[in-house]
This record gives sequence, structure tokens and C-alpha cells, in this order.
Amino acid sequence: MELYKFLPKTNCKKCGKPTCMAFALDLLQGKVKIDDCPPLLEPKYKKNYNTLKELIGSEEGKEKELRIDVETDLCDGCGICVTVCPVNARYCPPTLSGKAPDYPPEKHQLFQVKAGKCELLAIKYCRRIEAQGRERECRVCETYCPRDAIKIDYV
Amino acid sequence: MKGVKKLVNKRVKCTGCSLLCDDIIVRGDGLYIDEVIGACLKGKEKFEQITGKNRILSPLVRDKGELKKVSLDTALERSIEIMKESSKPLLYGFSTVSCQAQLKGIELAKSINGFIDSNSVICQGKVLNTAKEMGLTLATISEVINKTDLLILWGANAAESIPRLLNKILFSRGKFRMTGREIKTLIIIDPVKTASFGVMGVRDLSLNIDPGKDIELIRVLKEECCTPSGFPADGVAGIDQDDLKRLLIQITNAENAVIFIGQGILSSQTSVNVVHELLDLVHMINIKQQKGRMSIMMLGGHYNMAGFDQVALSLFGKNHSLQFFDNNLVETSETIISKLSKEDFDCSIIVGTDPISHLPWKLSKALMSKPLILIDNKKSATFNVADVILPSSLTGIECEGLAYRLDHVPIELQKIVNPPNNIISDEELLSKLISRLNPI
Ligand code: SF4
Ligand code: SF4
Ligand code: SF4
Ligand code: SF4
Repeated sequence: MELYKFLPKTNCKKCGKPTCMAFALDLLQGKVKIDDCPPLLEPKYKKNYNTLKELIGSEEGKEKELRIDVETDLCDGCGICVTVCPVNARYCPPTLSGKAPDYPPEKHQLFQVKAGKCELLAIKYCRRIEAQGRERECRVCETYCPRDAIKIDYV
Repeated sequence: MKGVKKLVNKRVKCTGCSLLCDDIIVRGDGLYIDEVIGACLKGKEKFEQITGKNRILSPLVRDKGELKKVSLDTALERSIEIMKESSKPLLYGFSTVSCQAQLKGIELAKSINGFIDSNSVICQGKVLNTAKEMGLTLATISEVINKTDLLILWGANAAESIPRLLNKILFSRGKFRMTGREIKTLIIIDPVKTASFGVMGVRDLSLNIDPGKDIELIRVLKEECCTPSGFPADGVAGIDQDDLKRLLIQITNAENAVIFIGQGILSSQTSVNVVHELLDLVHMINIKQQKGRMSIMMLGGHYNMAGFDQVALSLFGKNHSLQFFDNNLVETSETIISKLSKEDFDCSIIVGTDPISHLPWKLSKALMSKPLILIDNKKSATFNVADVILPSSLTGIECEGLAYRLDHVPIELQKIVNPPNNIISDEELLSKLISRLNPI
């Protein structure tokens, strides 16, 4: 727990949390901000405060909102993303043999090709939001799009 | 206000390319197609051709240098005149029409002592010719989806020419195992870095071969297969020793390998030799392999290129370049290319293709110098020089027909909507020409 190291570790409860550890956990999940810990704002913790700012900056990505951009100009509707996305594979059986899923789309379906172009449907079921552990690191649609038309990003 | 249209979904086949995808969903009310779902851009454009700007909507005849709209009757009459005046007619194209139309085309060639050739002659026809001597192991798409563990794209930019091919063959999961991409290895052999390279994974192998050196690579592989003596230290054809070793291990250990031969090989000058060597290599590996199997798939572009080969082979045992005389097939070693370069013809009937923009300039000029009858549904460079133009409906959209997919599996194409202006199909146009030539 890297963040914990840089907290005052006094368990003073001024933040409203029982311990500094609890605060650190919430900090990691983006539930609280660094400034919510009053002692940290004191000059003697200035260095720790700045280090934390940097650390959070890099971890903040996790809490930003997932964006999957499909560059329609580049896309030629090859349907690889539709087939390769594990969520589609699970909910749309035709994709198992590389076929187009049924229409209208199943509610979990993430991609469909319509009028020759790829459309992103229900981003909320993307493994990067839904899944746990390694599965959460899914990026196959971006990796395998031969046109580099898919960009996974956090904003 | 118009009543609300009741849209129905229908799974149909696409004739955008030789993959003939059978999973395309069209939404429409039976009169029009409103939406196309699942088809790639190329396929969607094919469906849009119904109302496309470059659609040919009426028969045309050239009169004093100008194309004039005429009735179908007049256009047919004019075609008959041209054919009757000619003693050495040339029929060419037939790779984007149904097998039924191809059959009629052959019949027409027969009745006018014509020479008929399909686009296949400058493409996959060469492989089939070579295969007649040495046999050919073909694979089907379903086999590739369900069983193949090694795919080799050789001079084939599948991502461009047949957009959904990689989707089907590489990323589909198949019936017998739930894993797809993970167990399939991809090898791409190509001198240029094409879009297909974009689907490469970590275990895959991309080989940037020197242009025109394919045959050297095949020969070295063949040698290594019979008498392993190690690859030359400085590699072969621009591929280094390590990659050669990996390639050899892959092709000799795969359980079910498929080589996809693309335009890079098919349309090159030396393709006959390359194909010969390649088939030999496949043969050799198949003999040596105990449990595995290696097969070939040809990636022609037009949706029914394989059809003409099949039709002609089944009738005459020869897959292209058929010369007829007195209702009989006569022996000839000519092809469309030699005929055109010698100007050994006096009129041409072009069906569903655009030779003026595909062929070298010299050959196009020869074509242009003689009367040209065009049967097609869209305007092209050939349209601009034709003397008679007979518009046809879109097979697979406006009329039915049979077509052979790239893996030589016959696919029945459906009719979805009615053609505009009561345009008739290629098959009917050709039948009309035949019946007018030989009135009973
Ligand atoms: S306010 Fe800061 S020092 Fe006090 S318990 Fe919370 S995190 Fe720890
Ligand atoms: S994989 Fe890329 S090119 Fe293919 S349909 Fe998806 S976004 Fe389009
Ligand atoms: S990241 Fe994975 S789960 Fe999310 S859309 Fe892409 S392939 Fe599907
Ligand atoms: S890959 Fe070919 S057959 Fe399939 S949808 Fe695209 S153009 Fe049509």
C-alpha cells in the first residue's frame, strides 16, 4: 500500500475515517481527496503531500471514465471487434463462428457493424468496467483492429 | 402521412466479394432495403448499388459516337447484328454473374463460334490448371473456422480484398473448442506491410519477403523437408535463418494448416512456376505428415470467379479459354491476353467486368478498336467505350442465382427486392441473345 506510507499515520481521525489505512483505501478508490486529511496540509507534510499528488495522478486513471473511441473513417466494417470481444462472444452465440450477431442487438452486446461501419453499443458491459482481476485488463478489440480504428482511453 | 413501414430482418448472402458472407442482416419492407447490418463497407456498397449513381438503368446503343437510350429490343437487335457480322467473337468476364449466366455465356459462345474466357485466367485459374497435373488439397471455410491451427497468408492482403475473411477464419472460435485466436497461429508472407499485419499477435510470424523471390523460399523449404541440411546462414529471399527455422517448424508441425494464396502470387508474371512449386511443397508436407494436413485456399476477388472454373470444368474438363467451332470445343492454347495482343478477334462481348481499366493499355486499346457489347449493371471505363450496353439486375439482390464461394462451395443466392425499370438478369439477357440468334 504505497499511499499509506505517505500519510501522517497518526490515526487522528480528523478526516472522519477511523484510521489512516482506511483513508488510504478510500483514497485509492477515489472516494476521498488528499485535501480531506487536514494534517497533510501542514507545512511539515508538504513533501508527502506533493508525493501523494503525483502518485494519485498516476493511479487516478483507474477512476477516470472509460472511453472507447471508434474512428469511423478508418473502420471498414471487418467485424473483428464484434467477434473478438469476449462479452459479445458470451452473449451473442453467432459470433462464435465469426457471424454477425442477431438484430436488434442483445443488451450486453458491445459492438455491431451497421451500414459498413462499427458502432459501439453498451460500453457499461465492457470487461474494463465489469470484470475483476486479469479480465479487467481486456484490450483485445484495440489490439486486433487491423485499421487501428479503436482507441481505449480514460478521460 | 405515410403508414409506418413494417420492417423485417432477413439473413441474406452478400455478393460484395468471393467470401459470400451468409450472415448479413437486411432490414426492409420487401420493396426497399433500409439497413444493412453485419456487412463490411464493401458489402454495404454492393447493396447500395441498387440505387447507386453509376447504375445502368436503360439499354444504350452508340450512334455516331454518342450513347443513346433505346428499348431493350433495339439494343438486342444491334447486338445480334454485331455478332452476325463477326467471325471471331470474344466473350470475356463472367466472374460477377451467376453460374446460370455463365452456362448461358458458354452456350452463346458455342452458337457464334466464339472464344470465351473468364477473369479467372489471369487469377486463380492458373492454380487450377497446375492442379490438374498434381492434385489440389482444398479447405473449406468451416474447416478453417473449426479445425485449422495454422494460417499462412501468402501474398494475400486479406484485410483489403476480402474484409471479413480474417474475422471468420482467425477470430471465430469454432465448434470444438471455445478458444479462437489463441490457438491459431498466423504467418504472413508479403513484401509489403499491409493492413493484414494489424492482426498479428505475439506468437505469429511476419515475413517480409523480397519481391518476386517467393519461389526461392519455397524451394529452400522443399529441400529442408526432404533432406534437412540447415538453412543458409544469410537467409533466403530476405528472410533470416531464425525466421526460416520457425517457419519450417510451424508448417511441419501444424495439425491443420491452410495456405491462403492471394493476388500477390496469383497475378504475378511468374505465378505458374510459383504455384507449381507451392503445390509440390504442400504435397510433400502432406505425405510426410503423419497426423496433420495442409491445404490451400485461393483468394480470388470477384464473387463468382470460382463458378466459371467449376462450370467450364464440369462441361469440358477445361476451366477457362474455351474456343468453339461448329458447336464443338476445339483445342487452343490461346488465352484472352494472347487473343487481345494479337488482335485475333473482331468483336467482343464483355459480361460483368471492366477490362478497360484492369488490362494493360495496349490490350484495352485493342478491345476498344472493335465493336464491344457490354452486359453489366454499373458504369465503368468499359461502359464509356462500349457500342451496345445491356443493363442487368444485381444477382443476389434483385435476382436469384448460384455462385461458388472462394473455397469452391456452391452458395444459392437469393432475391431480396425487385429490380428497377424491370431490368432482367444476366442469364435472361444471354438467353434472349441466344434465342434471337437461333430462331426456331
Ligand atoms: S486525517 Fe489524515 S492523519 Fe488523521 S487519520 Fe485521517 S488520514 Fe490519518
Ligand atoms: S475491428 Fe476495427 S475496422 Fe474492423 S469493424 Fe471493428 S473498428 Fe472497424
Ligand atoms: S476492452 Fe474487451 S470487453 Fe471491452 S469492448 Fe474491448 S474487447 Fe470488449
Ligand atoms: S467480406 Fe465480402 S461477402 Fe462478406 S460482407 Fe464483405 S463484401 Fe460482403
